[in-house]
Amino acid sequence: MILGTALALAACSAPGGTAGTSTAASTGSATFAGGSPTCGTSPVTLSTYIETGFPLPKNLTDEFTKQYPNVTFKIREDQFAVITQNAPRVLVDDPPDLMRLPQVSGLVKDGLLLNLDPYAKAFGWDKWPASQLEQMRVDADGRRGDGPLYAMGLNFSMTGVFYNKDLAATFGMTEAPKTLADLDAALKKAKDAGITPIVQFNGGATGGLAFPLQGLMASYGDASAINSWIYQKSGATIDTPTNLQAAQHLQQWISSGYFASDVNSIDYATMMSRFIDGKSAFIFDGDWESGNLDQKMPGKVGFFLMPPAQAGGKFGAMSAPLTYGISAKAKHADCAAFFLNWVATNQQARTIDVQVGGSHPMGPADAFMPAVDKNTVTAQTLAAGAQIGADNGAMDFIANATGAIYAKSWTPNLQKLVAGQIDAKGLLTAVQADYKTQIGS
Amino acid sequence: MIVSRREQWLGRVLLVILMAVTVLPFVSLFVTALHPSGTYPAGLSWPATPHWSNFTEAFKAADMGRLLWSSVLIEVGVVPVSLLISTMAGFALGHLRPPGGRALFIGFLLGLTLPFEGIIIPLYYQMRDLGLLNTRWAIILPLIGLYMPFAVFWMRAHFITMPDDISEAARIDGANLWQLFWRIHVPLSMPALSSLAILLFLWSWNQFLLAVVLVSDPLQRTMAGALGAFQGQWGTDIPLLCAGSLLILTPTLVIFLVFQRRFVSALLQGSLKG
Amino acid sequence: MQKRSTTIRRHREDEAAARFTTDRRRRALRARRLRRGGLALALTAPAVLAYVVFVIRPIAMTVQYSFYKWDGITPSTWAGLSNYVAILHNPELSGSIVNAFTLILFFSFVPVALGLFTANAIRGFATSRLAVVARTVLFLPQIIPLVAAGIMWSWQLSTDGVVNQVFRLLGLGRLARPWLGDFGTALPAVGVIGAWVLFGLCMLLLLAGMTKIDPSLYEAARVDGAGPVREFFSITLPSLRQEVVVCLTVTIIAALASFDIVYIATQGGPGNRTLVPGLEIYYLAFFQRQVGSASALAVVLMLLVLAVVLPLQSLSREGKS
Repeated sequence: MILGTALALAACSAPGGTAGTSTAASTGSATFAGGSPTCGTSPVTLSTYIETGFPLPKNLTDEFTKQYPNVTFKIREDQFAVITQNAPRVLVDDPPDLMRLPQVSGLVKDGLLLNLDPYAKAFGWDKWPASQLEQMRVDADGRRGDGPLYAMGLNFSMTGVFYNKDLAATFGMTEAPKTLADLDAALKKAKDAGITPIVQFNGGATGGLAFPLQGLMASYGDASAINSWIYQKSGATIDTPTNLQAAQHLQQWISSGYFASDVNSIDYATMMSRFIDGKSAFIFDGDWESGNLDQKMPGKVGFFLMPPAQAGGKFGAMSAPLTYGISAKAKHADCAAFFLNWVATNQQARTIDVQVGGSHPMGPADAFMPAVDKNTVTAQTLAAGAQIGADNGAMDFIANATGAIYAKSWTPNLQKLVAGQIDAKGLLTAVQADYKTQIGS
Repeated sequence: MIVSRREQWLGRVLLVILMAVTVLPFVSLFVTALHPSGTYPAGLSWPATPHWSNFTEAFKAADMGRLLWSSVLIEVGVVPVSLLISTMAGFALGHLRPPGGRALFIGFLLGLTLPFEGIIIPLYYQMRDLGLLNTRWAIILPLIGLYMPFAVFWMRAHFITMPDDISEAARIDGANLWQLFWRIHVPLSMPALSSLAILLFLWSWNQFLLAVVLVSDPLQRTMAGALGAFQGQWGTDIPLLCAGSLLILTPTLVIFLVFQRRFVSALLQGSLKG
Repeated sequence: MQKRSTTIRRHREDEAAARFTTDRRRRALRARRLRRGGLALALTAPAVLAYVVFVIRPIAMTVQYSFYKWDGITPSTWAGLSNYVAILHNPELSGSIVNAFTLILFFSFVPVALGLFTANAIRGFATSRLAVVARTVLFLPQIIPLVAAGIMWSWQLSTDGVVNQVFRLLGLGRLARPWLGDFGTALPAVGVIGAWVLFGLCMLLLLAGMTKIDPSLYEAARVDGAGPVREFFSITLPSLRQEVVVCLTVTIIAALASFDIVYIATQGGPGNRTLVPGLEIYYLAFFQRQVGSASALAVVLMLLVLAVVLPLQSLSREGKS
């Protein structure tokens, strides 16, 4: 009897309503009354959801409150994997004004993010180098690279290889490798000298071997082909001959024992702690650590971009904005947008971006840049950024192709690759299959 | 019962080993919590200088005071109501045995083995539609419902042992049904009720899934949910995580040690009946 | 006391009188019983309401969702049985179910077997001070949140954790490994955490059951010349039928419905090796937003728990009769 009533209750309508009658998720769009949006003068509390473990966002919000005392931030912090899991729910049901975003296309498709185009026009973001904002544009089909702007960066970061100069000296590496063969030789020398060549995170929900893998992909192949795949261009596949070479190269590093033996249980923080403790020679990581490394191991760290397969080849690197978005239901969207614009244009904010964040600020090409000591890693990563710009080698991260591809495909499959459960070919086939089901749905 | 001395010694040694294995994680947690924040202490090692300050730091980072308050509010919302309505139902089904009572009881029994994951998805949308997501109500209301199978089962089992005579006598004295229930039977049920209260308290305190899915703000969660959030945020700083975990465990441990007899017997009976 | 005895006496008289009731009085009685029945049902109403709204209705909704393809936001489309078919064909989904059953080995069989052995070994001094202390200590894992168990153990089982430290001390350094990050050991390692949590409860339940066994049975067995092994299998184990069934039921549900420990310790990794249905439901529904397939998995999980637990109960009933 109870069951019957309950079933009757439930059977009233299909979940989410049926097509046509439902209130289809309307894509939110910024609205503000004339002129540039501001934070006003009355007290505002921006509810903010950030990634834990990085000091940059808090440094920026503190500085902002100093300059605009009516604005305070209510900050919630989580690890990135947790944010990724929570993003769809939080944006709908507990909408933050500012939020660190994982991959955006799925979120945009469901109308969870605010369209920032009106702000872009009001603040003149559309006059910045177009490549800065490209990854955060999403078209009506959910493909990235084009269409309205749905997020903004606090800065844009870039990845490559950090190495411990002291350790490198002990096995005779005095300058950054110029080709992939040089890097292979250096790894072998480190291994022979009894040093763990690479410590890389790949445990739990974090498939960090995607960093070296994508670097290798850029060494063997063409950055733009990888971008097409990430942007879900029709017909794009990750399972290409050059990507296979890259994956095989990675597999060979694994079988040669170049990664720490417990790579499948190392999380990001463990990796950083071991590298800082001098327990490994290399890590594949991004310039967001430059500031941190300059502070913890001043003068001891070098940086180079993943070298090309042939000498004189072009460099490629993952380069992505540190994306923050505004929920379509945010209460203080104007103020949040004003904050994002401030981060890119305010002199003090740009200084914090470089000194604390270690990455290049967003904004106009000719904007203010703080002076950086030439002996720091920060200086090296900024220089490498210029190199990538010249080679047109910037790629988005292969983990950003779909909302779930990182957690549900790259991570488990890379862990399997480490354990020898699948080979390079198997890795690419599996990821491509998951990719197809995910964008098909 | 004659047990040889050798067997006795074997038993004692075994018991001590098992106790050591049980306690070791707690010790490891404690020792690790004393290492400098941000380091990766290797295994079980006493730090050069114990950093007791980790505890105060974790206390502040976790906002312990408000966490405790939140869990207390959830307990207050869940336990008394669950006890009252399940006792009423148990009394009716076990003692008054109305027509149709058996069918109702079997209906409750069906929910006894239900894994919470089975209904977490509709609960989410239900709470969203009620506008209760991210409030303590999102934990309190479903928990009351989810406890009903066990609580009704438990109280019914108790009332079935109560002799009919008592009720008949009270009726003849002119007691109506509510007086009969409230004045006569509830006072007589105190042992069963207090055991049930302990079980419900513990299960609510340790409830994780509902907290993780339905409430994103750690300050509106149960203790276990808050611990999950604390790990999500500070999982990268092992000593701080350990200190925070210990702090979050402390209230339960204290309450357990004070009421341990009650706890053990409640849990043992609870599983025997359940 | 006095009052109660008089009321009982009065009640007896009342009953005696009732035997000679006329038709009218019998009808009045039936009416009263019906009214009482109605009142009694009214007493169950709040519990029934809470149960229907927050358990029965959601169960029905889960079943309903499982036949749709829905992202939780936009309108849904009818999907028939395809979500169930996917569970059979998708190795990630079916693998999670296999993993849950593998966990039963650790969550159920280890605590019950070890519990039986230990309880049997210590029943001779179950009231000694050591045993009383043990009762408290062994119970600790039961009262802490599973999340805490997950946190403690993932630290202990890590590369530099206590477990590896112990192995190295024992000269077994080559066995040391990152237990939760190794394909071969991750699932058993999660199982060990579960066994640690559940052992104390099982042991104490079994011990309590053993103390209820009539000592004369053992004396008789000794007179017959039975050794401790035969004694255990012919007296102890059969008498504990009910307790063993209870332990198995509780621990099997814990294994099949595991979520907290895995969520904290491995998030299902490495490579889905420790993915369990509870976690996969959570991922599918709230992260990948495939509400339909998540619900189908939830329905399968509920049915599997029933399918395993119900036959066990009849085992215990046989024991009682």
